[in-house]
Amino acid sequence: MCDDTIERKVDITTSVMNKNDRFAAENRKLLSEKGIYTLNLISSPGAGKTTVLESMARFFGSRMAVIEGDVQTRRDAERIEKAGCQAWQIETGGACHLDAHAVNHALDHMDLDPSELELLAIENVGNLICPSGYDLGEDMRIGLLSVPEGDDKILKYPSLFSSINVLIINKMDLIPHLDFDVDRAIEECRSLNPDVQVFTVSARTGEGIEEFCTFVESSYS
Amino acid sequence: MHELSLATDMTRIIGNALGRKVLLDRVNITIGPLSGISPESLRFCFTEVARMAGFGEPELVINLTRAKLICLECNTEYEAKDFYQGCPGCGSISRRILSGREFTVDSVELEEGSD
Ligand SMILES: Nc1nc2c(ncn2[C@@H]2O[C@H](COP(=O)(O)OP(=O)(O)O)[C@@H](O)[C@H]2O)c(=O)[nH]1
Ligand SMILES: [Mg+2]
Ligand SMILES: [Zn+2]
Ligand SMILES: [Zn+2]
Ligand SMILES: [Zn+2]
Repeated sequence: MCDDTIERKVDITTSVMNKNDRFAAENRKLLSEKGIYTLNLISSPGAGKTTVLESMARFFGSRMAVIEGDVQTRRDAERIEKAGCQAWQIETGGACHLDAHAVNHALDHMDLDPSELELLAIENVGNLICPSGYDLGEDMRIGLLSVPEGDDKILKYPSLFSSINVLIINKMDLIPHLDFDVDRAIEECRSLNPDVQVFTVSARTGEGIEEFCTFVESSYS
Repeated sequence: MHELSLATDMTRIIGNALGRKVLLDRVNITIGPLSGISPESLRFCFTEVARMAGFGEPELVINLTRAKLICLECNTEYEAKDFYQGCPGCGSISRRILSGREFTVDSVELEEGSD
């Protein structure tokens, strides 16, 4: 009887994310061959990903390209183009996250050859859970938290905040009106992730944006 | 949530490993607390997806692991299912996460008489 159960049991030991991880590795290889450094921006809807990207577009100009996965319309992509960057809109069909396969197709459509191009920023779907499990092939994963969301979000969404390289706390201009405890948020993020780099910014007033852009620049040059 | 597509990926992995469609009794998987996966909705989706894929109605057995952590103050290694408690040795929340992101299909058990 014991032998029987052993025979009937088939070992598999395979990561369910293996297909995504293969596409991510392919993206990472292609982008590094082209000398492009890649960012994956993750936050809840409305935290300010597109607004931060607009201000980055003004800093980097044609040195940066953007993949928009946040919403289905081209509205966010148009905002980025207006600010001075090439932007490609992924049609997510209402998906809750981007995966490496979708990014792989977007890369096929983009012009990655301009010699000045050195940075690719991917705006993920607004969601604090789903995107955390999907490596897109990025070099830097950035989590954005805006102060109106509350300072208790970090430990509520540990799968994301333990996986980021950079935490941006956005909408700092609203701090005087809210009881968001910046030190608490930073301490809790470090408790998941002692190496995380933190930037406090306001994409509205521009506070902290240049420091952040300079940091990104220094990460690859 | 995307548990439906993950359940589909699981049946693809099982199909590839077995090389054929057979009726299954059990599917054993492991989910870590940092995988971002909701065990309940995965279970809900998997039952249906497995049936549609021709694997019968296997029981999904989920091994929910705890994250492994190391305290950066006193070097105690400990485990946790969430991150609200500090180190059991010194109380500090200064720590490094050693594991907890796993999401694997471990093994399947074939139904008797299915080969
Ligand atoms: N007060 C304030 N509002 C901001 C800031 N950054 C973005 N917003 C506003 O927040 C809303 C959502 O921003 P958006 O960039 O579209 O968020 P996304 O969904 O993460 O891409 C918009 O109305 C922005 O103008 C900021 O730093 N301060
Ligand atoms: Mg947006
Ligand atoms: Zn394809
Ligand atoms: Zn998802
Ligand atoms: Zn300790």
